[in-house]
Amino acid sequence: MKERNGKRFSTIRKWFSGIPALGWLLGAFVAVIIEYYFGESLADMLGLDRIPVLFGVVIMLKKPAAIPGAFAYVFMIYVLPVTIIARITSKAMNWLAVLLEKLPLWMSAILHLILLYYILDLWADMSDYRLLLLKLSLIAIMLTLSLNVINGYMGEFSCSHPGFMALGAYTASIFTVGLFMNDRILGHALISTIPSWMGQIVFPLGLILGGAIAAIGALVVAIPSFRTRGDYLAIISLAFMFIVKSGFENLEVFGGPRGLGGQPDWATLPAVFIWAVLCVWTINNFVESTMGKALNAVRDEEAAAEAMTVNTRKTKMIAFMFGAFWAGIAGGLFAHVLRYVNPGTFGLKKLAEVLAMVYFGGLNSVIGSIVGAVGFNLLSEMLRPLEIFKWIIIPVLLILVMIFRPTGLIAFKHFDIREILKPKLKMKERV
Amino acid sequence: MKKGFLAVTFVLALLMVGIGFTHAPAVQAKTIFIGMNIPLTGDIPKVGESSKYAGQMWLEDLNKAGGLKVGGKTYKVKLVIEDNESKADSAVSVATKLITEDGVLAIVGPQSSKQAVPAGEVCNNYKCPMISPWSTNPATTKDRPYVFRGCFLDSFQGPVMANFVTQEFGFKKAAVLYDVASDYPKGLAEFFKKAWEKLHGAGSVVAYESFTTKDTDFSSQLSKIIKSGAQFLFLPQYYNEVPLIVQQAHALGWKKPIVGSDSWGSPETVKLCGKDCYGCFFCTHYAAAGAKGATKAFIDRYKAKYGYVPDDVAALTWDSLHIIQKAIESCGKLTGKIKVDRKAVRDAMAKIKNFQGITGKMTFTEEGDPIKCAVIVKISDKGEYRFYKSVCP
Repeated sequence: MKERNGKRFSTIRKWFSGIPALGWLLGAFVAVIIEYYFGESLADMLGLDRIPVLFGVVIMLKKPAAIPGAFAYVFMIYVLPVTIIARITSKAMNWLAVLLEKLPLWMSAILHLILLYYILDLWADMSDYRLLLLKLSLIAIMLTLSLNVINGYMGEFSCSHPGFMALGAYTASIFTVGLFMNDRILGHALISTIPSWMGQIVFPLGLILGGAIAAIGALVVAIPSFRTRGDYLAIISLAFMFIVKSGFENLEVFGGPRGLGGQPDWATLPAVFIWAVLCVWTINNFVESTMGKALNAVRDEEAAAEAMTVNTRKTKMIAFMFGAFWAGIAGGLFAHVLRYVNPGTFGLKKLAEVLAMVYFGGLNSVIGSIVGAVGFNLLSEMLRPLEIFKWIIIPVLLILVMIFRPTGLIAFKHFDIREILKPKLKMKERV
Repeated sequence: MKKGFLAVTFVLALLMVGIGFTHAPAVQAKTIFIGMNIPLTGDIPKVGESSKYAGQMWLEDLNKAGGLKVGGKTYKVKLVIEDNESKADSAVSVATKLITEDGVLAIVGPQSSKQAVPAGEVCNNYKCPMISPWSTNPATTKDRPYVFRGCFLDSFQGPVMANFVTQEFGFKKAAVLYDVASDYPKGLAEFFKKAWEKLHGAGSVVAYESFTTKDTDFSSQLSKIIKSGAQFLFLPQYYNEVPLIVQQAHALGWKKPIVGSDSWGSPETVKLCGKDCYGCFFCTHYAAAGAKGATKAFIDRYKAKYGYVPDDVAALTWDSLHIIQKAIESCGKLTGKIKVDRKAVRDAMAKIKNFQGITGKMTFTEEGDPIKCAVIVKISDKGEYRFYKSVCP
């Protein structure tokens, strides 16, 4: 029986192993287009009130009677089209992938990303709730990845990430609200009327400024990290987080504990998407570089790394500042998605959330961070109807992951873009 | 290859069916959805529970009456209750979900200001009426025509307490102890200080001490307050901190009066505090003991059903739901187009005059804040919240 199952499994695997990333993307694209045009009528036909917003899970939990309908919907809209289109077009897509392989890597990657963006854009176009979740998930990816640089690649247990995020969020907010918006706390706009297209040009400046301030803040944690490791550094970084939080609570000029609101609506999906892609790209390059290898050396044995001519101080400082920079950018985007920041948001709860995403997804792995962030975010949104039981199921899930995969779901994996985008069928099979 | 062909035909068949159904007439909406964006988990689950119970009681009444009558038609009402985990970002997701996914006509909640401020922004952007029963931050309704609130503001409550203490006891020197990291206590402490110094001159607040959320030892602040020669202590804290502070103050030898704010209103305050809190005064939205009429009916029903006396959150949520109900009823007719109806409900809500709720009469200002009376409550020797005095603006 077991053997047969294994055999069946391997035939399924064989069926789909020849499909390149392009094929899957095309399948997803077709699925989203089908949902866009026929989703509503199909939902009607299946007796659902509306399009299941998050793959039917919310509907299933709210109305058990709708389970078969929601299941059929997900199967017909997502599973069938994706698998069928991906399978049918696998030859054509492999042929295309070979062509793309001849282009420079960045060009081929950008073409894939454009397709991915259109899929997400269409998917989110059907409901603003999806749009918001998508933006928050992309921001979570940035946060998780930047913490993974410190906690995963460098092996320090840093707890200061919400602090870095708060620095970025406040700096970016003060920049945009103070300069361009009329506000009760920060007063009249210095530059009162700007056309909306200008917003997209100045917004990155505010974000980068936020990232830079967060990176400077990271020095406060990086310098003690020369002397301490492990638990002690964790305590210091935790203290840093509380300093930042209390600081903003007592800074009456920035709204104090009441928070700062009224950020302009500049964090659109393209903006968040581009920043998230930039973040993944640079962090992946960073950890694959010699500097990234130095980080791993510091993690495995600091003294040995020092003996092997790794400048451990410089390595630590750069890693902290680099991680904090991206956390700051993520914080700035977060503030502009919610259009409100208050110091209370950047407390222990946020820390627990980010840490859970990193360890759930996997240490020392870019793809793990992406899976962790998106998985955790979607899960916590899908299980919302369960109310208090949600906080039993998610921790149990985390414990199970820690038991069976102690370093996280997808840990210690290279994120090789060329490997992902390459054609999957060998030359002779394709003929 | 054959399989592939089969699959293609299947997809095509599916698409045809889809096209066939595209032109099926949409089902006429006969149900009104009202959203509730409340903290069922997180820091203040009791607040979420009270709101949920009040909502369920309201729904029960409507179902008994057969539904909501608008312009001669009867509509069924459904509550969509969502948990916002007492987090600002979750409150935003929930508000977005309620508006865009569930198609609610109006939203009740969030309760605390840190969530009501960002969620109010979402509701105002989507032009969906929202009423926060409990949020006291001015920013919640400021410049947001679609956002209302069910309670009075701190800028009203601070002076009320200052006037009350002056008239009742004739004191001249005040002490304040508050949480500097929490939005509500800090704001209220400032309003109180301003009002007190206006009455008694600068320097009449002889001790203005603070602590940070989750502190449990207040002996150094309390010693300072005792030494300062203050005649009473103003304590604008929540039910989880009040008992600790009051008990520690008494242990250190403080015998003078302690007065509080509407955050004392939870039944938990007395449950945790015991005899130490007897005889204290606080300002709130309604008094449970000695209530009359509709207020008493509500309290009795709630107590019989859920086993405890409802707190101010439950009462305010109840009133907020009735304000929404009244607004829907008085907007004439519902068109079935959600955007038009939301605007009609909003306009009707802004026009409500002298609404008779269980927490007092309400009329909305242009900002969407109600003008209503505050109630001063004394904690009796049995631990009941007894009506003492009503203060109107």
